[in-house]
Amino acid sequence: MRLSALLYDKKIRDLIYQVAVLGGLVATGVYFVRNASENMVKAGIASGFDFLGRTSGIDVPFVLTNYQPSDSILALFWAGVANTLFVSLIAMVLATVLGFLIGLARLSNHWLLSTLAGGYIEFVRNIPLLFFVLFWYFGVIAALPQPRESIGFFGIAFLNNRGLTVPATESLSAFGWALIAILIATLAHWTYARVAKARKEATGQDAPVMLVGLVLLIGVPVLALVVASIATQWSIPALRGFNYRGGFVIIPEFVALLAALVTYTAGFIAEIVRGGIQAVVKGQREASYALGLTRGQTLRLIIIPQAMRVMIPPMTSQYLNVLKNSSFGAAIAYPDIVSLFMGSALNNTGQAIEIIAMTLAVYLVIGLAVSALMNVYNENTKLVTR
Amino acid sequence: MKKTTLTLLALAGMAAAPAMAQTLAPSPTLDAIKARGSLECGVHLGLPGFSFANDKGEWTGLDVDYCKALAAAILGDANKVKFTPTSVQQRWPILQSGQVDLLSRNTTITFSRNASLGINFQGINFYEGQTFIVRKSANVKAAKDLDGASVCVAAGSTEEKNAADWFRERSMKVTITNFQKNDDAIAAYDAGRCDAYTAGIGALAGQRAKLKVPGDHIILAEPISNDPQGPVTRYGDERYQAVVRWVLNGMIAAEALGVTSKNVDDMKANSKNAEVRRLLGAEGNFGAMLGLSNDWMYNAIKQVGNYAESYDRTVGKDSALKIERGQNQLWTKGGLLFTPPFQ
Repeated sequence: MRLSALLYDKKIRDLIYQVAVLGGLVATGVYFVRNASENMVKAGIASGFDFLGRTSGIDVPFVLTNYQPSDSILALFWAGVANTLFVSLIAMVLATVLGFLIGLARLSNHWLLSTLAGGYIEFVRNIPLLFFVLFWYFGVIAALPQPRESIGFFGIAFLNNRGLTVPATESLSAFGWALIAILIATLAHWTYARVAKARKEATGQDAPVMLVGLVLLIGVPVLALVVASIATQWSIPALRGFNYRGGFVIIPEFVALLAALVTYTAGFIAEIVRGGIQAVVKGQREASYALGLTRGQTLRLIIIPQAMRVMIPPMTSQYLNVLKNSSFGAAIAYPDIVSLFMGSALNNTGQAIEIIAMTLAVYLVIGLAVSALMNVYNENTKLVTR
Repeated sequence: MKKTTLTLLALAGMAAAPAMAQTLAPSPTLDAIKARGSLECGVHLGLPGFSFANDKGEWTGLDVDYCKALAAAILGDANKVKFTPTSVQQRWPILQSGQVDLLSRNTTITFSRNASLGINFQGINFYEGQTFIVRKSANVKAAKDLDGASVCVAAGSTEEKNAADWFRERSMKVTITNFQKNDDAIAAYDAGRCDAYTAGIGALAGQRAKLKVPGDHIILAEPISNDPQGPVTRYGDERYQAVVRWVLNGMIAAEALGVTSKNVDDMKANSKNAEVRRLLGAEGNFGAMLGLSNDWMYNAIKQVGNYAESYDRTVGKDSALKIERGQNQLWTKGGLLFTPPFQ
């Protein structure tokens, strides 16, 4: 084949274009990195990742890791990542639950319910998130009493404007056993449900799946947790001086940020739920009623599984938004990755480029992981066509 | 061979230099300020007494006065300053990237900042010490009574680390909550989120006015740290850095030498003190040696005043804050202010 013919081959030409574009991108990236590092050296600004090993010296009011102010800046980084993940994951779950409820209420035939849900959605979707965060924060602080007037719960947990102080334990071994028990129960339930389903398909006989599920998925965990708590040594908070000592403190910044993320995102999820359900053609519902299924069964077995296919891609976007929006915590001193690492650590070291790149990578990795999980779920629920 | 030629050329150059007017080291920053016709000064977002804008947008304060004096020295007019308010976190990038010519904003001099941020501190215009503001009802007399308390602080400030270090050293269990801006931290303290807010003694005197009922709070007198503060410039451009340094020295020297904005004309014409004459440009060519006009310090003192005049007007006895001179007094009067001679 002649060389010119090779150039006119579509496959080869496409390959050449792709290589050129990729090469250009890499070259641009390399140019920016080199340019930045050269200029930083010229300006006398430190660069490199040595700073991660330095002592951080920053006190963090809410840590899930073993972080201490005497630890390194890298430990501070992980403490920030843990706090970001913690608030984001809980917010995703709660926003989904609240969003589903509001979305279903919006579709309800009950006029008041549907109007209230509609009003909520319109209100939430047209207000900036920062407003929510500050509203909940100052609302939460203002509504809660000073430590001396704390609201007590059975003398073991105390709520005041410094947070919710709950009993904590040094050793978690009893809870480890409880976790194992819960896992076994879950596995048992899953196996039982599969067997029951197979039997129903083979013989048409119903099995008491709901009842067994209730026992295995709620009864066993509750029992396991109760036994574990009795077997564990607790540190019970007690009022001394300024505030309660001992126990674990859930800070008001966490509560405010969580409340803001959940109430805000639920408004968007509600619309996705409504859209998903309305996307299921009317005939499906009518056919289901004609077959004698009840309203509940229709919703559970016919409508929601089909609506899920439509809902998953936009839901993924909402979950990613929750993750990114958790950075609003920096506005109210919730010690997330932005506040701790891009705030305190950046100011102490001045290494803006490295720190911002690392923070970016954290969001990217978590975001891609969430997307990947949702894609797997999407694969499993999508319509199988023959 | 080549090296010898170069050396010879350099020697010839040096020999020729005194014959011409004095050659100055190039100063891109001074050239840019003069071409622009204004000084770009990075100040605090709003700290009464140090840098604070009134409802007409006019900036006043100790740090603001210094920038005005610098503008008077470089451009001959103290009003040719553009103030850029910066938060704790914005201040470094804004200086490093060249958006401002200097920072004059209650910034503490520290080793690691100087070594790793590409910035130089040019002197001390305020000796600050960190302390706490607490509610009177909390019955706290000193920082050591704060065991178990929550403290609000601005993230990225020296106070954030100082406080953590100080409590850790004493094994005190104190919760430190870090806010992005000073004002957010004060607002949260005021809302009851914290038992104390921590900042410098001078800064607190000004920030106290932002509380709903200032009278309900007291500032603990005993400082937990030394926080010397002063103007900050980027690395590079030594001649400009010298100007920044010597305008501050000049204001302090003027106080020591008894030169004020009121008597500066008389002093310039009649003083027999050689240092006063050199400072005000009546003798020698000190201004020209830095590439400025010879009446550089005359303009600064005439238009802004000496250090004492600025201090008294902004944070001292004639201001609302009424902070004692204390460490910020001349060395001859028991303070720490000292300046190298104008010689």
